[in-house]
Order: sequence, then structure tokens, then C-alpha cells
Amino acid sequence: MANKFGNSYGLTTLCPLINGHQQHTSFDKITRHRIQLLEENSGSPFARIPDTYFARLFILNDVFFEQGNNVARDHLQSKYLVFTSNFHGDLEPYLQGMWNNAEADVRHIWQYAVAFDKVQNAADFIRYIKRCQLTTTLFFNGSTDDSLQQQLKSLYVKQAFTEFALQHQGKPVAELRAAFKTFMQQLQIDNIETPSWQPGQTQL
Amino acid sequence: MSNVAGKAYGMNVMTPLRWWTAIWQKVIFWVVVKTFPYFLKGLLTLSLIHYARWTIINRWSFPRLDKSQPKEKLTYSYMLFESNFNGSWDQYIDSFSFAIPSGLDMFWRWNIKYPKSIPLHDFYHYIRFNQVECDHYYNAYPLASANDVKSAQALYADLAAFADSSEALSDDAFAAAWQQFLADNQHSLGSMGTSPLMSTSNQLVQEHHHDDLQLAARQTQQEEA
Repeated sequence: MANKFGNSYGLTTLCPLINGHQQHTSFDKITRHRIQLLEENSGSPFARIPDTYFARLFILNDVFFEQGNNVARDHLQSKYLVFTSNFHGDLEPYLQGMWNNAEADVRHIWQYAVAFDKVQNAADFIRYIKRCQLTTTLFFNGSTDDSLQQQLKSLYVKQAFTEFALQHQGKPVAELRAAFKTFMQQLQIDNIETPSWQPGQTQL
Repeated sequence: MSNVAGKAYGMNVMTPLRWWTAIWQKVIFWVVVKTFPYFLKGLLTLSLIHYARWTIINRWSFPRLDKSQPKEKLTYSYMLFESNFNGSWDQYIDSFSFAIPSGLDMFWRWNIKYPKSIPLHDFYHYIRFNQVECDHYYNAYPLASANDVKSAQALYADLAAFADSSEALSDDAFAAAWQQFLADNQHSLGSMGTSPLMSTSNQLVQEHHHDDLQLAARQTQQEEA
């Protein structure tokens, strides 16, 4: 019963949407459409939120399961905006970073959520998300729990070194050694900010 | 608006279970956590999962933030399963079913209408029926698999150590150390290009996204007119 696994955090939230509509379109449909129009990959608002490994948004309209004569029929009274995220670190600094780096997107996405009209600043947003949060029952981390910057730098190093090793197969040792020295200087292995991959990057 | 972001697939499955079995299910998960890694060894062996989680939502635990929001009147509690894995939907379900059938049955055994993980056809149907699609799915490293992230971490540490330790070596000793370093880290090397699944999916996403943007633009024009 824990939201954390090492330094990685699994956030699960169900944010109820207002039952209502605007110009013949229900609030859940407006919200879904807004989410679907978000830019993908490096253009996603989540690419701007520090330490986000993975995140997703979807609308839970109802509970759909194979019903039958021997089971009860359940239906939700509200539709829910489901927001979940896997990130490095603790919840409050993460949500603070979310507000600071993507406030306009957050306001746009959550506009029709119940009680979101009371959210005016980062502190309100943190309180709001905590009210919507569900405790993770079992959290499994099959990756690492390093900071995202460290993960991206490591991936950059892996890609760059693989290419270097391929290009220098069979080279005389003096040439290899000189090239390796130059390569390591360019790599700046202790500088995790640059050169590195960018969050959501889809091209090498 | 896709379940695919680069090499990762985002799965959401919401299944009902009776409120009292939900409590038992929580006990089982607690035991799994306490006895880790024995029970989760199968998941680690699969090695295609970045992060996965199970969240049991009691029928009285759906967030209610305001009196104006109607109260939920549910018969069942629910289990929300979310996973970020590499590969296709079929590959994932197949891997789970073949590698850890007993583990799957332990996690879902009390869920209403759960057919067990074998035979595969019924299990396919169960997951497909209860899956909820992502409307937006973000992956910080679309080009990398979970194994890439882990091997990159190992290579990063080894390369930094090798650069330091090899500096004072003679040329002959450096050549030997270089060969040894490559041999020791060969499993961590590899180029991370786009995968065929990623290319196809990305193309579809871009087409749908383009269509949606055009539709939104037309709606805006109509509203302005």
C-alpha cells in the first residue's frame, strides 16, 4: 500500500467532472476533446514538467464490464478525468513543478472538474490533487528510479558511446586513445544537463 | 490520443470485485510487497515493463469534492490496473499469460467474471472488454525501452569509471582494458532507433491528430461566423 517505490512515485487521481453541458456539448466531451488535442511527445505539457517519466489522461465515462443475470449493474453518477503519472521524487514538489511549468494547460484541462474553480495557485492545486488521489495498492518499478535528467543523460551516453565503439573498431591504439579522449570531453559525462536527450524526444 | 507513445504502450484496465474480496485482495498485495521480490520475480524476468500499478478503489472511495456532486451508489469496488510496457498489446498479454499465469490469477482471482489467464482466448477477451483507452499518453523517452534505460544506467557508471582508471595506462594496457571494457558492457550497447511499431503507430497518431486539429479549426470558424 504505497505510492512510492524507491525514489519513483506513482500518482493516481480520479477528478470528478461537473454533470452539465455548454452549447449542446457535455463537459466530459469538451474535456476529452481538449486532452486529445494536446501535442504529443516533446510538445506535450508533461515534457515541461520536471521529472515526469510517464503520464496519461483519460475520461472514465462509466464502469464497463461483462454484466449478466448473476451480477449487479453498476453505473457511475459522475464522469471522471483520470490523471496518472510516474515521476521521480515526492508529490508536492512535483505538483508545484506542474503548476509552475504548465499552469495554462492545467487550467484548460481541469476547467470543468468539480471544485476546480476554487484552485487559484500552486498550493490550491496541490490540495485539489490530493483530494482526488487514490492510494496505490501495489506499485511495480521495472525501470530505474534515477532523476529524469540522469536517465536522459545515460541514454544519450549509451547512444553516443555505441556509435563511437562501432566507428573505432580495429583502429590503432594511439588513434583510438586520442579519439576516446576527445569523445569523453565532448560527452561531458559529469554534466547531466548537456549534452543530453530532451524529454519526449523522438529523433536521434 | 493513443495508447502508444514511442516504444511504450499505456494500458488501463478497470475491473469490478465484491467489496469484501477487495479487502482480501489488498491483503494479498500487501503480502506481495512484503515478500518482494519472490512474487514479482516473474515481472522482473519479463523485463518489458517500465512501471505498473494496481489501485483498488473501494466502492465508497470515489472522490466526492462537493455537495453538488452526486454520491456514487456502487455495488462493487474496482481495481484499476495501469501499465507502461514495451511492445504491442498482443505481445504483452501473451508474455504475461505464458510467463506468470499463476501470478496473474493471484492478482485478478476475485475480480468479477475473471476467466483465469489460461486459456488465452478468454483472457484476451476479458482484458479487451475492460480496457479504457488513453486520451493522452506521454513518455519521456519514446526511443528507449525499459531495458535501454536500465542498461544505459549501468553503462554510464562503468564508462565514467573506465575513463578515470584508463588514463594512466600504457598504450598496450589501454588496448587490453578497452577490449575488456567492451566485452563486459556488450549487453549495454545498442542503437535506439525507432521501432516498426512505433513508426506505424506514430503515423496513425499524427493523422488522427491532424484530423482533430482541422475539425477544431472548422468549429472555431463556425463559432466566429
